Amino acid sequence: MAVQSWIDILRLSKKTALIHDEKRKIHYLFPDGKEMAEEYDLSTDELIVRKWRNKSTLGAQTQWRIEVGEPLISPVTSLDSDVIKENCSNPIFMQKNTQTSFQWRIRNLPYPKEVYSVAVEPSERCIVIKTSNKKYYKKFSIPDMDRCQLPLDSSALSFTHANSTLIVSYKKPKEILTLEQDLLKELKKIKATGEGDVNCKTQ
Amino acid sequence: MATTKVPEVRDITRIERIGAHSHIRGLGLDDALEPRQVSQGMVGQLASRRAAGVILEMIKDGHIAGRAVLIAGQPGTGKTAIAMGIAQSLGPDTPFTALAGSEIFSLEMSKTEALSQAFRKAIGVRIKEETEIIEGEVVEIQIDRPATGTGAKVGKLTLKTTEMETIYDLGNKMIDSLSKEKVQAGDVITIDKATGKITKLGRSFTRARDYDAMGAQTQFVQCPEGELQKRKEVVHTVSLHEIDVINSRTQGFLALFSGDTGEIKSEVREQINAKVCEWREEGKAEIIPGVLFIDEVHMLDMECFSFLNRALESDLSPVLIMATNRGITRIRGTNYQSPHGIPIDLLDRLLIIATSPYTEKETRQILKIRCEEEDVELSEEAHTVLTRIGMETSLRYAIQLISTAGLVCRKRKGTEVQVDDIKRVYSLFLDEARSSQYMKEYQDSFLFNETQTASMDTS
Repeated sequence: MAVQSWIDILRLSKKTALIHDEKRKIHYLFPDGKEMAEEYDLSTDELIVRKWRNKSTLGAQTQWRIEVGEPLISPVTSLDSDVIKENCSNPIFMQKNTQTSFQWRIRNLPYPKEVYSVAVEPSERCIVIKTSNKKYYKKFSIPDMDRCQLPLDSSALSFTHANSTLIVSYKKPKEILTLEQDLLKELKKIKATGEGDVNCKTQ
Repeated sequence: MATTKVPEVRDITRIERIGAHSHIRGLGLDDALEPRQVSQGMVGQLASRRAAGVILEMIKDGHIAGRAVLIAGQPGTGKTAIAMGIAQSLGPDTPFTALAGSEIFSLEMSKTEALSQAFRKAIGVRIKEETEIIEGEVVEIQIDRPATGTGAKVGKLTLKTTEMETIYDLGNKMIDSLSKEKVQAGDVITIDKATGKITKLGRSFTRARDYDAMGAQTQFVQCPEGELQKRKEVVHTVSLHEIDVINSRTQGFLALFSGDTGEIKSEVREQINAKVCEWREEGKAEIIPGVLFIDEVHMLDMECFSFLNRALESDLSPVLIMATNRGITRIRGTNYQSPHGIPIDLLDRLLIIATSPYTEKETRQILKIRCEEEDVELSEEAHTVLTRIGMETSLRYAIQLISTAGLVCRKRKGTEVQVDDIKRVYSLFLDEARSSQYMKEYQDSFLFNETQTASMDTS
């Protein structure tokens, strides 16, 4: 079963745990060289950050790609870099899950609620956000659902708009909820090193 | 004149400087590899151009590795021009690395390391890689130059697709390349996000009604759909050296302390060779052997030559082209004399192309081409005089006189260089023979004249 295989991959990976800053930080190293890092809140067990990194074809290490959590705020010094970069007034897209649902927040979207339309495209396994004024468009998949190969259901999807932020939610199905609970139990079993600088064995 | 100097906003495309060989556009051969008398900036030297054409075909085929060619001839007979011609006809995808023999002597790097880096720069690997690109129609470009004329420029670029619109902040390099590509509102462009490379796809159909003056080759394309940022598989060519550098860089925060390249460990190289061979077998990558051109090859010493012997035997080695203007001379680093200053065992592995001095007619032709390149008009008599100078002194000296004479002519508000202008610059600037003559006559009044060693040691 697909749900099983993802948790198997997780079990096979080398894991290092660290408790720091009121957060449980876990680093996974997968057999194919990919790396994943997660951060959980110690008190609520909520997933705060999940990010990925892998080697490019030529062997260079790529930047961390954030799946869940706030995007890294780049320091101001990089502003005068030589290449191209999105202006800060553009919409910022991020995933931020709650206990019962996947949630995406798009900040800096000042248009009224009628402008947006959010729909599931089951054939392409993704969610599409459109704007009738042609200012914003985003097509994204739900990585958790893809890993477990669960079908997308349009009835689980809803969205609201307030304070120039569009919030799209997708209710987590039963399979995901049980998987997350199992994983959390597993993670708590890993002996976490305490505060301070420690060598990350998997890196 | 008391006009205040206004800082000129210079267009980047106009700063194309004219180099010694910028008139060379190819080898000037027809389809049957027969050399044309005058073509693509090349004049005369028929046999050696033909030979270079054969070598070129061998390089293009790409099956033969580790062949070496030596272009030998007197100074000013077009050795470097032939090498440049080969480079030009190879096209942008085949790596061509040029270096001078003395470039490899450095305190930071051993000679053989510098040579192996040069060898690996000349081997290209064509591989598919996923990159992030931005593809959209330009809505607006706004570039703010600081009022003082100096300092960083600030730019904004608005791009759109049929579905969305995004504003981007531009860095200095980006602004430069946008103005170099002459990107304007209504163009459909792609930008490689990692490298900043801009490709113009054409003009948007919605702008087709604008009655702009545009070239016949302007293409109209649809405005892209969907998201602006896409991940796309692109095929690009990187050199083995670039892969080496990527993989040898110290990871993490240690990268801050170690220098950029320096020497590359041989284990890293071996790993990469193995990986590239693996990719090739899987069909993921293609190896493009390029050309390594070493000018003034007599400047290499014995160790380098024996390194070359060995390096040429590897199957991952490029075609090596060397040029020298020496006759029988001492091999650097030894006390032995050898033709071209190259050991006999290496000479034995080379195909040697000889260049011969130009005839008067050819010299005339070359000077004409250079005049066009340097945008100087020459009268018929001045051309004849200059050709004589070229024959009697050297071609290089005659070429130098072109732009100087052009300046003299412009100063007297003439449009065409006359014999008098040539005479004037000829008297202003000495050629090598006259300078030597002068030295002989007035040697006593120069400094350090008491050292009377007859000949200078050149090697």
